[in-house]
Amino acid sequence: MPAASNDGLLATLSNDLAAAVDAAGRSVVAIHARRRIPASGVVWQSGIVVASHHTIQRDEDLSVTLHDGTTVPATLVGRDASTDLAVLRLADASPATPPPAAFTTDAPRVGQLVLALGRPGTAITASLGIVSAVGTEWRTWQGGTIDRFVRLDLSVYDGFSGGPLVDATGRVAGINTSGLARAVALTVPASTVARVAGQLLERGHVARGWLGIATQPVRLPPGLQRSAGTDAGVGLVVVNVEPDSPADRGGVLIGDILLALDDRPLSDPGDVVAALGADRIGQPVALRVARGGRAERLAVTVGERPRARR
Amino acid sequence: MPGAESLLRGVSVLEGALAEVAERLRRITVQVRAGGQRAGAGVVWLRRGVVVTNAHVAAAPRAEIVTADGRTFTARVTGRDPRRDLAVLAVAADALEPALRTDARGLRAGELLVALGHPLGVANAAALGVVHRAPTGEPGPGGWLHADIRLAPGNSGGPLADAAGRVAGINAMIAGGLGIAVPTHVIEQFVHEVLTGGGGARAA
Repeated sequence: MPAASNDGLLATLSNDLAAAVDAAGRSVVAIHARRRIPASGVVWQSGIVVASHHTIQRDEDLSVTLHDGTTVPATLVGRDASTDLAVLRLADASPATPPPAAFTTDAPRVGQLVLALGRPGTAITASLGIVSAVGTEWRTWQGGTIDRFVRLDLSVYDGFSGGPLVDATGRVAGINTSGLARAVALTVPASTVARVAGQLLERGHVARGWLGIATQPVRLPPGLQRSAGTDAGVGLVVVNVEPDSPADRGGVLIGDILLALDDRPLSDPGDVVAALGADRIGQPVALRVARGGRAERLAVTVGERPRARR
Repeated sequence: MPGAESLLRGVSVLEGALAEVAERLRRITVQVRAGGQRAGAGVVWLRRGVVVTNAHVAAAPRAEIVTADGRTFTARVTGRDPRRDLAVLAVAADALEPALRTDARGLRAGELLVALGHPLGVANAAALGVVHRAPTGEPGPGGWLHADIRLAPGNSGGPLADAAGRVAGINAMIAGGLGIAVPTHVIEQFVHEVLTGGGGARAA
């Protein structure tokens, strides 16, 4: 193969990657909100920065270093542990407000070349890899809904959390975090970031439905299955009812075994969390429970999870 | 951007281009063995037998060198600086192919990098990565070239080059998963010091 054309090819690819870093990197900031090295954030809207919840270890005395090296104060708008996202507002006096990043909500493809950017200090840093797996909507261990599962095959270094996943054209496909899974880099897709950031900007928190119960799975013996009229092998036994909570007002008792919520069977405490999105607040749900060996139906009006519980 | 997506349809062309860079680096890379250690690497800096490696690779006054064409030489360590982790070796050979160089301070994050070395004893193994952070030109940890690339012991002293095969630094260590290289301008300064008598005996 002629040397000249090959040189040109690699150089072009190399330049494109550097240009993608440069384009997206202007919107990547350093977040000073913990004792160790700073973490990263992305300018989402004018004066608004999205970062990783777990990297913000204090609520006050926050500052942000911009692409031009200036450091400006910032305030915490809100945070959502369930999706590991937080929103900060730059002080109005920002001398050089960086431009918001260009986002894409296109589904990433397995094998696609991607860059993870960070700014754990003044300099922009990059790593290159590929999208290793893409899946459907999933729920984090803290009950947050992530629109799409995106796993990366690339090295993430200290301070990368909160930084963007960038495609080869410099568009931001999501926010990377090491806070949602052990030992692996995941991306919170741009659509989820938009949804959560919108709620944080509007209300300062992400509203979630709430019943006020704690449950644990329990095996249903055949006798109980027969008498309660269910063929499910597992139910959720109620081990706590918060006083004056929606469940308390709806008549749920400790010892009740939840069999179904709105006719959807329940076998894991997470099933209850999943059924209680913000859109259910104020609406009634039908709980089918086994109580004293017999099936009963209870109507409970979903409340909003109190903020202290988040 | 007309770039990456359309280019990647020609994966075989890309592979050819990478192979060419790896071959260019192979010709300017030597094996260095000193003081009974596992072999490290070195880079031919000047045609007249001047080779650069890490101080921690050239840990004895003399080192055995195997050039890309298979010749073995005994080299003298004519300059050594553990602080910069650099050493200059003098080899009695006068027609070695020297490395093309580029100034690492001009690199941008995301640019492609190719490393060549002998990781864990595998001779002339190539690795592909990108610039994680370019050196600032100031003293301190920011003065090193940080690369997002998979290296191993045996890469030490070997070249870290840009997409055109121009050496931007020599690999010195692995820290936090990152490849850390001494940038070219630091090496140029050191070689100059050694050859003008500042760092030890003159090179042959």
